Amino acid sequence: MATRLQFENNCDIGVFSKLTNGYCMVAIGGSESFYSVFESELGGVIPVVKTSIAGTRIVGRLCAGNKNGLLLPHTTTDQELQHLRNSLPDQVVVQRIEEKLSALGNCIACNDHVALTHTDLDRETEEIIVDVLGVEVFRQTIAGNILVGSFCALSNRGGLVHPHTSIEDLDELSTLLQVPLVAGTVNRGSEVIAAGMIVNDRTSFCGSDTTATELSVIESVFKLRDSQPSVIVDEMRKSLIDSYV
Amino acid sequence: MPRKPRRKQRPKSWPVTFSPFARALARMASVSKPNRRSKSIESSEKPTRSSTSNGSSKHTLEERPEGSESSDGEFDGVVQADFAFFDPKPNDFHGVKTLLQTYLDVEEWDLSGFADLILEQTTVGTVVKVEDDEDEGVFALATALNLWRYREQRCIMKLKEFLLLKASQEKGVGDQLRLLLGERAHNVGLLVSQRVVNLPPQLLPHLYDSLFNEVSWATEDEPTEDLRNSFQFKHYIILSKIYKHKNAEQQKRKRSDDREEEIVYVKPEDEIFHELSSWSFCFPLRTQQPAPHELKNYRSMGLIMTVEADKIPTFRQQLASLINEGWRQPEGV
Repeated sequence: MATRLQFENNCDIGVFSKLTNGYCMVAIGGSESFYSVFESELGGVIPVVKTSIAGTRIVGRLCAGNKNGLLLPHTTTDQELQHLRNSLPDQVVVQRIEEKLSALGNCIACNDHVALTHTDLDRETEEIIVDVLGVEVFRQTIAGNILVGSFCALSNRGGLVHPHTSIEDLDELSTLLQVPLVAGTVNRGSEVIAAGMIVNDRTSFCGSDTTATELSVIESVFKLRDSQPSVIVDEMRKSLIDSYV
Repeated sequence: MPRKPRRKQRPKSWPVTFSPFARALARMASVSKPNRRSKSIESSEKPTRSSTSNGSSKHTLEERPEGSESSDGEFDGVVQADFAFFDPKPNDFHGVKTLLQTYLDVEEWDLSGFADLILEQTTVGTVVKVEDDEDEGVFALATALNLWRYREQRCIMKLKEFLLLKASQEKGVGDQLRLLLGERAHNVGLLVSQRVVNLPPQLLPHLYDSLFNEVSWATEDEPTEDLRNSFQFKHYIILSKIYKHKNAEQQKRKRSDDREEEIVYVKPEDEIFHELSSWSFCFPLRTQQPAPHELKNYRSMGLIMTVEADKIPTFRQQLASLINEGWRQPEGV
C-alpha cells in the first residue's frame, strides 16, 4: 500500500525520512501530522524514530541502512548517535563512518541483500558496508549518474530507477540486484526517485504530487498491492469448490 | 511562442548538483557578482535592449556582465545569460512550485493546486527563464489572479483564511480585508511575484510592464465578457516579505556609521508598493531563516498590502527610475 504525504508543503519526503524493514527514521521539526502518518501505518510493527543528523533535517539523504544496520556520516553528533543506538532495535548495528562523501543516502542504495554504491566510495567504506549491512556491494551508475542512492529506490521485492535508464542497464542492474526493476518517475515527473519516495517490503510513502499512474507503477513493481485480482479469485475458489466431480 | 534552436553550450565544470534548478541557481549566483574578474578582456558592457513585440509574445533582455569566461576549467568566470519572458506552461510546474514554497509561511495548503492555477492562466502571467536553457529553470514569476474567479479553489480559500487570520490581530484593516476578499472580490487581483534572490534588478521594470500590459490586453482580448471583466482590477493585494528592525522604537544610533533603516525590503518594488498602498500591515513569520550578518538586527516579517489599480502607472514610473538610477541589491539579501 502506498501512502501520499508531504513534509511542510515539500513533496520530497525521501529527504526527510528513511524506511527499512526494521525501523523508520523521521526528521524532527516537521509538523506532527507528518510523524503521525508514519505512526499510523507502521506503529507497533517497526519503531518510528524522530531524529536529526548533523543537526539537520535531511536524515533520509545522509544515512544508509537496512534491517541489519545503519551507517551514519562522520558529521553525526555523539548525542544523535547515542539516541539512535538507544531507539533502534538491538539487532540493528549503528555505525558512524569516516567517509568524505558524507551524504551516504545519496551514495548508497541498498536492500537487505545487495547494495549499489557511488563509484568513488572508499575501499574501507565498502568493507564496512559489507560487514554492517550484510550485503553484497556493486559500484554502479544509474543512467550515467554516480549518485546511485538518489536515483533509485530499492526494496527486497523490486526497484524503481531513473526514467532515462536504458533497457540494457535495466537488465544488467536487475541481474545484479536479483529483483525486478522499472524505470519511472515520482512526484509528477521528478527523476530523483529516492527523494520523492521511501519503501520497504510491506509499505511505501510518496510525495503528494505523485500522480495516480506513478503510484500504480510503484505499487506494482514493489508488489505492495494487498490483493491481486487473481489472488482473490484463487482464495474464493478454494472455499467455494470442495471437490471436482 | 517560437524558441530558438538550442545550442549545447555549457562550460565543463558546472557545480555538481542533481537538481536542475539548483544548477541554474548556481549559475545565477555568479551573474550577480560583478566583482569577479579573473582575466579582464576588453568587453564593453552592452546596454540592455528589449525588443518590443506583439500582444502575446514576450521580449528578451540581454544581460552581459563585464568579465571573462575562464578557460582553464575553473568555475570562477562570469556567466552570460539571456533572460526571456514566457507565458506559463504546464512544464514549469516544479520551478513555479519551488518559488512559491514559502508563500504562506509554514502553512500546509494546496501549494500544488496554486501552482497549477497560475500555470493555467496563460493570458496573464509571466515566467522568467534563461533562453536556450536545457533545464528550463524558472527564475521569476509574476501573475495577477482574480480572487472572485478562483474563489472555489481550495488553495484560494485557504489563502483567504490565512490573510484574514493574520489581519485579525491588526485593528482596523481586518474589515477592509474581509470586504476585499468577499464582496468586492470581483475586482480584486492577488499580485503574486516571486523570484530567486539574486535576479538582476534590471529585469523588474520589464517584468511588471509585461504583467500590467497583459492585464489591460486581457480586458479586451479575452473571449467572454465575464473573463474580460475579471481583469478589470480595481485593487491588488500583495503578500510579501520584509526585514523589520528588531528595535523599531530605537532612534539613537550610537557607533554605527550607516543609518539603520527601519525596514529592509527584500524585493525593491515592495518599497514603492508600500508607499502607494491604501493600507498595509506586518505579521511575524514562523520560519526564521538565519539572517546574513548585515541583517542581524532585523527580523523577517510578512507584509500584506493593498494597492489601488489607478496607482499602477505611478508605480511603473517610480520603479523604472529606481532601477535605472543604478541601484544595486546589497550582497546577501
